[in-house]
Amino acid sequence: MIGITRDVIDAGVMIEAAKRPGMGALVTFCGVVRDDGGIERMELEVYEEIAVRELETIRDEAIRKYPIESVDIVHRVGTLFVGETILLIVVGAGHRKEAFAASEYIIDRLKQTVPIWKKEFGRDGQERWVPGEPGDRTSSPPPG
Amino acid sequence: MRVRVKAFARFREILGSDIPIEVPDGATMAAVLVALRDRAGGESDAIFDEGGALRAHVILMRNGKRVKRDDSDALADGDEVALFPPVAGG
Repeated sequence: MIGITRDVIDAGVMIEAAKRPGMGALVTFCGVVRDDGGIERMELEVYEEIAVRELETIRDEAIRKYPIESVDIVHRVGTLFVGETILLIVVGAGHRKEAFAASEYIIDRLKQTVPIWKKEFGRDGQERWVPGEPGDRTSSPPPG
Repeated sequence: MRVRVKAFARFREILGSDIPIEVPDGATMAAVLVALRDRAGGESDAIFDEGGALRAHVILMRNGKRVKRDDSDALADGDEVALFPPVAGG
């Protein structure tokens, strides 16, 4: 499953749904809102049509590149408080090594190409857009 | 003709999220960028440099495809242009 949601992400449900008989390993990456110098909450914004397309591309790249059986990625947007899950990646494979490698590949690519932005709100009332990854590669061709 | 501009994150705060822009038939991206710079007013320096060109980090799309800021193709009525800063998800 690939998707953008405004609801709480249930990791247990996603892991159970991903299981197949040939899988000996399911590696999950769970991104969480961190209390980074007094952060209270974040607001996440998405260009949804493009984000879903980019997530599907990353899934397809990972399946081509690694001997894995499945990739599920759900990213939440809207208002999230410290400790809430921002995204969950579940990679299912026969063995753990390729599942670990693929999950790292997926989160690294996601941070470069998927049009989602975060604004942090501090307990002191300060607001700040989280700066994007340098060398952004959202879609193609590269910027001119 | 009319194109729709979607802006995100800091650029949405400056320009609005879904902006209809009237341009003459046959207009290119340059005409849309001039209209957006006017709309941004005193906050345009977050998006445009002193010469009026888009800043290097700004990402521009037309109908879901990344395009260059000096794209010379004529726009069509109903095109969707998107403008956003580097992505920061995950």
